[in-house]
Amino acid sequence: MRWRVSTLRWVSLTVAFVILTFGGWVHRCWLGQFLPTLSCKYVLWTRAGDCYLWHIQRVLQNADFDELLPELMFFFLLILLLGKSWCGWICPFGFCMDLLDAFRRRLRMGYVTFSDALNRQLAWIKWVMLFIMLVVPLLCIEGCVLSEYRRDLNVPFCQLCPARYITPLFNDMWNQLAVSFRSGASVLMTVLGLAITGLFLVGALVKRRFWCQFCPMGLIVGLCRKLSLLKLKKDCDACTRCGICNTVCPMDIKEVHLERKRSDVTHQDCILCMRCIEYCPEDHALRATFCGKTIYEASQKGFFARERSRPSDTLEKSVDATTASSSGNDHAK
Amino acid sequence: MPNELVEEQKKRKARFGWALEQVTRRLLDDLSVEDHIPKRMDYFLNILRQAFVPSAAGEGPKTELYPGRKVIGTYCVMTPEELIYAAGAVPVRLCGGSHEAAAAGDEFVPRDICPVVRSAVGATAFDLLPIYRRCDAVVVPTTCDSKRKLGELLADFTKVWMLEVPHIKEAERSRLQWLEQIYAIKNSLEKLTGKKIGSKELRSATRRIAQAQYQARRLHTLRKADMPVVFGKHAMLAMNAYAFAEVDEWTAAMTAFNDEIEGRLMAGQRAGHTQAPRLLLAGSPAIFPNWKLPQLIEEMGGVIVADESCVADRYLYDPVGTTEGTMTEMMRALAARLIMPCTCPSFSPNEDRLYRLRYLVKEFKISGVIYHVLKGCLIYDFEVGRVEKLMKELSVPVLRVETDYNPEDIEQLRTRIEAFVEMTRVRAKSER
Repeated sequence: MRWRVSTLRWVSLTVAFVILTFGGWVHRCWLGQFLPTLSCKYVLWTRAGDCYLWHIQRVLQNADFDELLPELMFFFLLILLLGKSWCGWICPFGFCMDLLDAFRRRLRMGYVTFSDALNRQLAWIKWVMLFIMLVVPLLCIEGCVLSEYRRDLNVPFCQLCPARYITPLFNDMWNQLAVSFRSGASVLMTVLGLAITGLFLVGALVKRRFWCQFCPMGLIVGLCRKLSLLKLKKDCDACTRCGICNTVCPMDIKEVHLERKRSDVTHQDCILCMRCIEYCPEDHALRATFCGKTIYEASQKGFFARERSRPSDTLEKSVDATTASSSGNDHAK
Repeated sequence: MPNELVEEQKKRKARFGWALEQVTRRLLDDLSVEDHIPKRMDYFLNILRQAFVPSAAGEGPKTELYPGRKVIGTYCVMTPEELIYAAGAVPVRLCGGSHEAAAAGDEFVPRDICPVVRSAVGATAFDLLPIYRRCDAVVVPTTCDSKRKLGELLADFTKVWMLEVPHIKEAERSRLQWLEQIYAIKNSLEKLTGKKIGSKELRSATRRIAQAQYQARRLHTLRKADMPVVFGKHAMLAMNAYAFAEVDEWTAAMTAFNDEIEGRLMAGQRAGHTQAPRLLLAGSPAIFPNWKLPQLIEEMGGVIVADESCVADRYLYDPVGTTEGTMTEMMRALAARLIMPCTCPSFSPNEDRLYRLRYLVKEFKISGVIYHVLKGCLIYDFEVGRVEKLMKELSVPVLRVETDYNPEDIEQLRTRIEAFVEMTRVRAKSER
């Protein structure tokens, strides 16, 4: 059996999830604290790597600026290497979303897509998240505006991030799901965080990759897409603009099929799951490149081979039988 | 209606019907004895014979077409056939190509209307071909003015479901409006057949059509070969036969057909002369039995290696692509596949068509374009200028041929096409 990219991606996501969430049980399995992916710090001792967002907030609020540069360099190096495939192929929280999505499919429930107008209206949320993550910690530095809330606004973005509430559950940390009544600010933050988590659970059940469009990590990695080595490219002549890439895209990206001129179609939101390449029916129309080398590309044969290999009903069997008898030739070539 | 009038109508019906049958029978006979015709062509010729020469099946009692099944007539490639199959019904493509039926339809339509619509009205009103009246309902997408009013005319004779095609396909509102209509057609089909279209049925229908599309694309790819191995008139006819065939049968026949063509390619059997120019038949579709242009072009020494007709190369080109079996996604994907990649000039702006033509010229190594304009087909005629400009850029000559189904102008056309083919041949030679 040829491995499909979707299958490979599931394997990659599962392995990454298991390692990042449970790898810590294995002695000295540690992948670093600068990972550009939501591998949550709050999973505590079983984790095998940290989401960089926790550390950067920590560094900023403690004003340890001399630590900042080397960490950032390491962080950006990782982004450079894999681009947004950190989101599509590795992110443990993305794995949780895909699990919920698989559950939705099992229920034979459809999904929701947001209109362009709504998407535009929601676009600022991730910037707000980025603001909370980068600026609020700075304001908490001793002597700044928010310094008196310093304790309650400790790593503020993490307090809002649904991954902080959900992924620790895999390590049996149910106590994370509590409102902290230490002070007004902490009540506000934890209630907000829990509300976002509730919203996330509902959202991820009705919309594909629901959190990804609000995630500040995705925003940062997406902004570096031009520098990243992994890219999504398109041959605009071969493209028929059939829109299949749009239909199958978990991020509902329209720009890939609408593009007419540029060959680099890596969109800000694109998580490089490569489903669009897998489902594109035109030879070479879409491809993924690493350092300019094509690593995977669309093909007509690939598209129709999948249509043929799916479990068939009786009618299809009868067709195959008549075909075989009438041609005596291998038509699957 | 007074009795003499009824008599008169009956007479006309008999006259038109007889003429149509004679002409089509002769055309099919001529086609089937051609030297270079692929052996596996028989199935497609038979399908067309059954549809157009009903008496050819034998003089005995007429057998009912598609016994026990609902038949849905369709008037455009943008009809969701997947849904029709999913409801257990059979789609037949009724866009008319017969000159005699067009003559019969004259009295119903204004003077400048295209012969496709004329012919469809004539065939339905006079009951010239059994398949037209056999339909339990017809789907008429409003691609152009003629098609829009066609729906109104046909409503006097059959049940008509209009399908309002948006003309700005990129816009979000168009897509939503279109999706809504696809759902409406689904409901109408469910009501008519009494069968619920679930995700399983739709998935299976999509797959069945995908098999046919795979074979259609295989033929498409085979025609890309440097050495043409099949004449355009034969390839286009095989595609056109899908209009009256059931998908699984057609797929099986097409598989055998492709295997034969592939065999020819391996054996190095070329179709046409070694220096035959590779032509692209662009513009309005040539619909069987209007085989005037394909036959003439290849008689004059050209080979049609590609076309952009919605009853030939574009007929089964764009598949439904889904990652999951939920109804939401399948309907969304189906709606998208019907309009998004469609290069019908019904859409405006229609840059997609120019991109497609540019791609065809490159991929098929086209040395000349014959631009077919059916009299009254305004939207294709509108785009001649743009296409000519594009082809100038690609330095490919274009011949605009305006004609209808009337065989009278055949000799004039012959001269023009002969000159064009000759000119393209000389050009290609000097370039070499």
